[in-house]
Amino acid sequence: MKYTHNQITFMQYIFLIHGVQLGVGLLTLPRELAEKAGTDGWISLIIGWLFSTLASLIIIQVMKNYPNGTIIDLVTHYFGKWIGKIAAFIFALYFAFLGSIVFIREGLFIQFWVLPQTDLFILLFLLSIPSYMIVRNNITILGRYAELVFFMTTWMLFFYFSPLKEAHWLHLLPIIKEGWKPILTAAKTTIFSFLGFEIAFFLYPFLQNKQKASLGIVIANTLTLAVYIIVTIVAFAFYSPDEITQYKEPTINLLKIVEFRFLERLEIVFLSLYVFVISTTVLPLFFATVFCTTHLFGNQDHSKYVVWLLLLNLVYVFFLPQSFGRNTQLQKGVEPISLIIGYAFPLCLWGYLWLYSRIKKGGS
Amino acid sequence: MLFFQKYHNKKKQPSSFQIQDNEPPIKLISPVLLENIAEIQNIFSETPDLVVKNFVIKQTNSPAALVYLSGLTDTKTINNHILSPLLFEADKEEKDFEVRVSVGDVKEKNMWQEIENAILQGNSVLFIDKENKASIFDTQGWPQRGIEDTTIESSLRGEHLGFTETGSTNIALIRRHIQNRELKMKEITVGARGNLKLTIMYLADVAKPEVLKELLDRLNKIDVDSILNSASLAEYIEDNPYSPFPQLFLTERPDFAAAEILQGRIVTIVDRSPNVLIGPATFEIFFKSMDDYGARWLVASFIRLMRYFGFIVAVFLPATYIAVIAFHFEIIPLKLLLSIGASRERVPFPPFIEAIVMEITLEMLREAGIRLPAKIGQTVGIVGGIVIGQAAVEAGIVSNIMVIVVALTAIASFIIPNYDMGAAIRMLRFPMMFAASLFGFIGIAVGLMTLMAHFIALESLGTPYGSPIAPLRFPDWKDLFIRFPEWSIVKRPESTRAIQRLKAKSNRSEGDEH
Repeated sequence: MKYTHNQITFMQYIFLIHGVQLGVGLLTLPRELAEKAGTDGWISLIIGWLFSTLASLIIIQVMKNYPNGTIIDLVTHYFGKWIGKIAAFIFALYFAFLGSIVFIREGLFIQFWVLPQTDLFILLFLLSIPSYMIVRNNITILGRYAELVFFMTTWMLFFYFSPLKEAHWLHLLPIIKEGWKPILTAAKTTIFSFLGFEIAFFLYPFLQNKQKASLGIVIANTLTLAVYIIVTIVAFAFYSPDEITQYKEPTINLLKIVEFRFLERLEIVFLSLYVFVISTTVLPLFFATVFCTTHLFGNQDHSKYVVWLLLLNLVYVFFLPQSFGRNTQLQKGVEPISLIIGYAFPLCLWGYLWLYSRIKKGGS
Repeated sequence: MLFFQKYHNKKKQPSSFQIQDNEPPIKLISPVLLENIAEIQNIFSETPDLVVKNFVIKQTNSPAALVYLSGLTDTKTINNHILSPLLFEADKEEKDFEVRVSVGDVKEKNMWQEIENAILQGNSVLFIDKENKASIFDTQGWPQRGIEDTTIESSLRGEHLGFTETGSTNIALIRRHIQNRELKMKEITVGARGNLKLTIMYLADVAKPEVLKELLDRLNKIDVDSILNSASLAEYIEDNPYSPFPQLFLTERPDFAAAEILQGRIVTIVDRSPNVLIGPATFEIFFKSMDDYGARWLVASFIRLMRYFGFIVAVFLPATYIAVIAFHFEIIPLKLLLSIGASRERVPFPPFIEAIVMEITLEMLREAGIRLPAKIGQTVGIVGGIVIGQAAVEAGIVSNIMVIVVALTAIASFIIPNYDMGAAIRMLRFPMMFAASLFGFIGIAVGLMTLMAHFIALESLGTPYGSPIAPLRFPDWKDLFIRFPEWSIVKRPESTRAIQRLKAKSNRSEGDEH
């Protein structure tokens, strides 16, 4: 009941989840898929979508057991205060790491593509200002932001239809040319691209109409899939299967060929606007972090934790030189934890709660 | 945010500088006429416009005195309807003098405080010997401006009546549009010295009680000497005083105020100010004009889209120009780049300086044009626009393209129908230009993100300011960028939080029906 004063609508819920899923990953996704599964990578995307949707639905099923609280309240309710605190701590750490990695990666991309001469520290400081202004508010504001950014940036996808004039659809054929094994290997990559649905653990109690929670999360996953599939297929059809692996970020390179009478190098404009898309990944993650820390320390006002989180990020960037290599390594490090928190944890919890309710029913 | 909250808390605490502390004990008037006159002259010392007219009432032969401030009263009413019946008429049957005085509103009071206030407000007070109460006659009649066409918000098709500086006239102007008993009013007096009368008007069965309560609470908390106009009143009650955006709508048009009351909003009429406050306001109502509803819907929609386009141009065009020239010239196609280069060839300044010089000049010209008398104002426009612009380009201080950019921004910012919002937008482009000069497109993107962060969190009287854009409410979009035909908008916007949503029945007859 304590979360009823700031609620999110069905649409905000969808776009929040979709926003967290769609982030920096999209920029490199076509290459990563092509490296592992060739041009059959899009099939892996569908497999990844299937898994993520299943996991999302399990998360909703788990949350239905305690509809008026977040996952931390749920854990506290079933396992006691201390386990609840530990859960809050783990979630805070996980979201903080995930958020920071994406945040720094965002800065790296900007530095690499748009402002090569600007210090990364300054760029991240710049990005911290609006981040603070948004995250210090409640979830409703974050929902509005996700919604606004979605409608502000979706049209950018249409630029990807422009390279199709020079596409060679033959690149996609034959389908499943090397059997299922590479496709399944690539599916592992795609599973990470869909990560972000675990934010539903924290969004569920705020949702106005909880009957639609499952539908919403499926729509969010499908939206993400749609964006991934469009970009990936365009990239596969445009580049030859070998060529695509040579570009670090084929998603951006694709736009280089789009030219207007009055505008060249569209990718610079595109990437500047893509900052918004990435921010919808970072900000909910940061919000989840400070939400957990607030719970952990039993405090009311979460805005000072936002300051601390952003400061820590800046200090980290200031003292340790950042690079794509280091960032990717960190990302690889978080991936197994993501798997546990996104897939294993809800599954186990669901099983436990199912057993628990059965035993309780049997007992009474 | 913390800072803001602190500020708000401080503001909401009742202050104690008011007269309540050393309030004099209640003083009653005496039954002796001479004592009363002495007291009056004591209260209003050094007040040459105070008139004390001593006379004898013919009916009862008792001495009496009529007291009023000459400038604030209607002398004709006093002479014809108070003095002349009392001086010359004697009716044997009628003892009560009030019946003979043909003034509408008569009150009997015996407290000095009330009498003093009544005189100050332009009423006249009659003291009669051997009576321990005085009669207050409503004889207000101060210098007034007639009802004229509006000056800032001009009208093509709407009514040509503007609000005046008299609260009661303004109420009447609105009431003419809404003849319904649900149109309720509440009166509040604000200001220890100014005694500003505020009247809140709303439709009782439409306006949300919480919003009304919020507004009343805020108005009641104001504790100042005096408030001289409605814009400063708005500053006392708006949600975020540090926002560039106006959070309450000021209008000088009764038809607009009436339309907003019908939408479920609450109108605050400020006596002595020709602008009324409309709240809760949302971002979009600053982009509407009453003429939108007087034009055909396609035309109105086109104009409205132009306004939003103008908003984007006014905020981002100079910034984009700076970002492109200083950082991302590679995005311009070669031919265009060459022509821009040729134009900028002689300019020694970086584009930011160039833009700032021109923008500041433009703002100064605008302000000078407003403050000067109309005849000189035109000259300023010509000198500024043509002479300075042309000369600056020829002298090589600014480039041709910069002049085009500045001129476009200026026109784009003037397209916004509301003055406050137009001013806010003109101001916003400076931080954007600064960000663009430091970080190019990323600077603009971050600037926009900051603006959005502020925009989505902003509220007006506790209602989201960004509605129906953020929070997104698609049903309200019928009257947002595109104005759908009037008969198709059957619901009030959700942003007003009206309790009665339906405002029309969509039973429009088809054109072919006979």
